[in-house]
Amino acid sequence: MTVEVTPSTFTYVYFDSAYIARIAQRLIGLFGLENHNIRVDINETTPLAKMRIEFGDPIVINIQSGAFEDFSRPRQQSESATTQSLGRILLKVRDRLSPEFANAPADKDLTLVQVAIWETYCVARLSRHDIDINRQRWLYNFRNRHGFNDASDRAFEKIWNSNDLTWEQLQNISDNALALVQ
Amino acid sequence: MRKFFPVEDLARDERFNQITMNDRMADQRTVITTDSRPSRAANRIVPSRGDASDAARGLMHGIFVGEIQALEGAGRTCWDFTTGEEAPFELKLDMARQCWDEARHVEISVKLSDWMGSEIGEYAENTVLFQAACSNDPVLRLAGVNRALEGLAIDVFTTMKEFGEVAGDQYLEFAEDWMLADEVTHVKMGSDWLRKITEDDPERRKKALDFQSVVDKLFSYGGTRSESQESPIGLARRFRELAGFDDQEIDVIAKLSLAALEERKAAVLEAQAAHN
Repeated sequence: MTVEVTPSTFTYVYFDSAYIARIAQRLIGLFGLENHNIRVDINETTPLAKMRIEFGDPIVINIQSGAFEDFSRPRQQSESATTQSLGRILLKVRDRLSPEFANAPADKDLTLVQVAIWETYCVARLSRHDIDINRQRWLYNFRNRHGFNDASDRAFEKIWNSNDLTWEQLQNISDNALALVQ
Repeated sequence: MRKFFPVEDLARDERFNQITMNDRMADQRTVITTDSRPSRAANRIVPSRGDASDAARGLMHGIFVGEIQALEGAGRTCWDFTTGEEAPFELKLDMARQCWDEARHVEISVKLSDWMGSEIGEYAENTVLFQAACSNDPVLRLAGVNRALEGLAIDVFTTMKEFGEVAGDQYLEFAEDWMLADEVTHVKMGSDWLRKITEDDPERRKKALDFQSVVDKLFSYGGTRSESQESPIGLARRFRELAGFDDQEIDVIAKLSLAALEERKAAVLEAQAAHN
């Protein structure tokens, strides 16, 4: 297993590539992804926070610099944001590599609702690895996609407390929540 | 008690990190982005945006720190000027009422931030609002804070209220609506006092309106607020009318905001060309 972070030095942000690599290595170990070579490409020319996966050897994770940033200190790196963002995307990598998620649509075809359920599932599992997560932030995001109602909150709870869901199960929980209020 | 309090000395605990407009403009990433995908034609903060929740949380935090500074600014206006000589008692009474409103808005904003999953100090605090409240002429403060900044608050609250309405978030929708009603009153106070105090002093009025224009331009930096869908925050014409802006004044702000957006787009193209 190799972990590479590019660029090695930054011009527009005060990030530390060796530090990012150490956080990535720890998470890769936690999620059992040691058999894969992984490269983290950081786009430091944008403050946005999008992330994208390209499967191959190595698996390339494209990350915009806002995903690792301390919003209270612009351009500075946040350990917490780096861990949460890398954790979310690496869990998604693990899901994508598993047969349980074989039927998940390609990233470009995911709807906003589907993005929300998968994000929720990822951060929920992250929180059980002793990683600091603001649950309310993700509940708010989930409600924005499923409605501000009890059915939506019950679906969120179900996903939040699950560890071994398949894509179909995840999708069903979401569909049921949406169907109840239509 | 000290008069004319400098922005650097505002009391904050360790959760807050303050930045200036210069700090914000020093971030080159906002103009040199090399993201190969086309930029959004619509940047308005609406639930259909992929990053809607996070964008709304960030704006909510901006409202929260803005309310703190508005409270501090109105409070200073009650204290910094001699009653009767430099500022009428009734004007100070209006500023005291505004303090009451702003304090309530701070508390509402904290609760809304909790509801949306943000923490106090999660985002940087831009101190430009209080800076506009540091003029040593009360009329300039009314123009800069009550008319320009509280005018911006009308636009921001309208955008957030609509966000809550479309998302189905009734707490956000109603809380923003109530705060919006107060902001309309604050702007009206500024408009009324500006006209009254400068009734026989056209030069002072012009100076105040020029200052308002500077603050309006500063807050339109990058086209953050305009009638174009490319701006995250819209221009709330109807509520501005209710607050005492006439059509011509609103047209001027609309033009100025669009010009700021176009300047921004030109700067982005130039910076990208230089970067590549």
